[in-house]
Amino acid sequence: MNPVLRGFLRKEFLQIIREPRVLAMVFVAPVLQLILLGYALSTEMRNIKLAVVAEPGDFVMTRIAERAYSSGWFVRGTADPADPVSSLKSRRAEVVLIAPPGGLTRGLARGNAPGRRSRPSVAPGNAPIQALVDATNAVRARTVEFYLQRILAVVLAELGPPEGSGRSRPSILLDFRMLYNPSLRSAVFMVPAVIVLVLGIDSGLLLVFALAREKEMGTIETLIAAPVKPWEILLGKIIPTLGLMAIAAPIVLGVGVFWFGVPFRGPLWQLVLGSFLYVVSMAAMGTLVSTLVKNQQQAMMGMFMVFLPCIMLSGIFFPVENMPGLVRWVAYLDPIRYFVNILRNIMLKGGATEVVWSNMAALAVLSMATAVVAVRRFRQTLN
Amino acid sequence: MNLPDPRRTYAMARKEVRHIVRDPFTLALALGLPLVIVWFFGWVMDLDVRDIPVAVVDRDRTRASRELTEMFSASGYFRLVPPEDGDFLGMLDADRVKGVVVIEPGFGRNANSGRPARVQVLLDGTDNSTAGVLAGYVAGIQLAATARLAGGSSPPPARLVTRFLFNPELNSRWFIVPGLLVVVMGVMTVLLTALTVAREWETGSMELLLSTPVRPSEIILGKLGPYLVLALAAVAFVYVMARGAFGVPFRGSHPLFLLGCLLFLIPSLSLGLLISVVTRSQALAMQISAIAGLLPPMLLSGFIFPNESMPVFFRWFTMLLPPRWFVEISRGIFLRDASLVELARPFLALAVLSAVLVGASVRRFKADLEP
Repeated sequence: MNPVLRGFLRKEFLQIIREPRVLAMVFVAPVLQLILLGYALSTEMRNIKLAVVAEPGDFVMTRIAERAYSSGWFVRGTADPADPVSSLKSRRAEVVLIAPPGGLTRGLARGNAPGRRSRPSVAPGNAPIQALVDATNAVRARTVEFYLQRILAVVLAELGPPEGSGRSRPSILLDFRMLYNPSLRSAVFMVPAVIVLVLGIDSGLLLVFALAREKEMGTIETLIAAPVKPWEILLGKIIPTLGLMAIAAPIVLGVGVFWFGVPFRGPLWQLVLGSFLYVVSMAAMGTLVSTLVKNQQQAMMGMFMVFLPCIMLSGIFFPVENMPGLVRWVAYLDPIRYFVNILRNIMLKGGATEVVWSNMAALAVLSMATAVVAVRRFRQTLN
Repeated sequence: MNLPDPRRTYAMARKEVRHIVRDPFTLALALGLPLVIVWFFGWVMDLDVRDIPVAVVDRDRTRASRELTEMFSASGYFRLVPPEDGDFLGMLDADRVKGVVVIEPGFGRNANSGRPARVQVLLDGTDNSTAGVLAGYVAGIQLAATARLAGGSSPPPARLVTRFLFNPELNSRWFIVPGLLVVVMGVMTVLLTALTVAREWETGSMELLLSTPVRPSEIILGKLGPYLVLALAAVAFVYVMARGAFGVPFRGSHPLFLLGCLLFLIPSLSLGLLISVVTRSQALAMQISAIAGLLPPMLLSGFIFPNESMPVFFRWFTMLLPPRWFVEISRGIFLRDASLVELARPFLALAVLSAVLVGASVRRFKADLEP
């Protein structure tokens, strides 16, 4: 290694070790961020407030309610039998189940009487149970309906086929199995994404602030005067960042796997390679931002303005496929997006060659391109 | 205590307006931010689950199996992808499909003879919220398929008639757009006020202002007034966009809605003031207010991630944050036509939080004035 670079690296390492804030940022902040976001960003459909309007003697309805409450999806809500909509408005309930007139138990018995044709308005069900669902949140409302359907099917199956009708069970059965995440835990999906965010933002921030500080304190002039080439300065900044991330990444990953119980099914070396490319591309992006700012306050603003769109377009929170054409094209320039694809696929699905390597190639091209532009811009600002 | 003098307050407000107009950064933030937020969350973001790639592996090749395949493609939710022979698990691994439907030989025979005909459906569960919706669609197809293919069987003895209230078309924009207000207002008030007051401290002009006959209460009111007006203008903008461009209904009462906005703006402005008094430097005020003004409205308010899904600790913690209550009010009034009585809890909570935050910031501000 050339001696200039070695000396430069030593200076950078000393600077990092002497600054307790940086060390805290690299080792403590990611873990805290991961735990905070891992819990808060939950899309699991739980704690749905269910209220049941039925006569006390209606034992099938009671059975449905008990099933629902013990399923873990629903909690008890309250509803005014005279005005159930009002309890939805005040959020005392999210779903109100209303027994058919005369009660469900009696309705079921009546429906089985031979020779009786059901009225077309309520066909084909003989005993329609009304479910009033607060559909403000459309995704949640759909899931709520699905849960209720399933609970109803289970309760009806337990009651057994009614006498008189030979086969009442649906004779086409779509048995579904949820792969990769059978209990549909939100953490399994979100925690890998949060790991990506934490690593990327921290490595970008390190670079921006390191360079902005040199500018603010005027030491960048000293560096220009010294016999160091611009790319050596940048390498001297990027290598320590890589080193810090090489320590921070296993810590964060460990928290994800052991604390949140996210599976890790793929080869580790692919993950290491992907992380390397990702950290380089984010660090290059940080360098690029730092060439546009004069001091640390502007650096903060700059990071904000670059990283926020990157997070929004990464597909972590909102599906990229649903975005309009032009935005979808811009999203191809987002390194976060590729690494999210890689990490989720490796951790949850064991790493499909096609997904991992196409995203890896895109990430490599992107990090090279960003690095080249960053070095050129950096050289220009130095002269 | 004397009431603030309107003339002096107005003079302070005029000074602040000049500051805003002259500072390109503030102006850009105040005008550009609502536009960008509405554009992104209104047009770019789309949480609807549709066009889900699904592969149907038909090993039965009968009329019944073809009809079932047809039902998947005709439902409008799925996009059929030609399956690869043998390795359909690989398609799931490679993210090419979200589900695989395997129809084994004998399906058609069983369906025609009234025996239970089983079909294996493998769904990608990684994204739990999409998977939940997907499972619902599949269940719907099961019902329809039973009615059509096994026509002879009797209907189920009881069924669920679901009425989706307040948003019958299940449009996810109706959920997002009323919540947008909280992000727009949260960022504008906390960030901008924290910056403006911190600037007066940093440049030392606060001491100058205090030595003039203008009273502290007039300084605060005069400085915060213009931002209140700006934020209300942004609310009006989002309101017009919501109704005009996105077709979101407004079913509740306008005065109640305005009251809710004010009850959210007052604690937010106080929070900005508090941050600036405590930090006294623009850079620090900016960092803290960027976090305090952005994180709670975006992630902890229920705007996208429902509060009900959070662990117990967060459910209690978010109760201390005004954004969470405002989102409830906004959605309640926009979509559910909720009255003050029905929204008593969020209104009460916002009133209490306003009192606490206004009290704390005024006390800190006064304590700082004494040498």
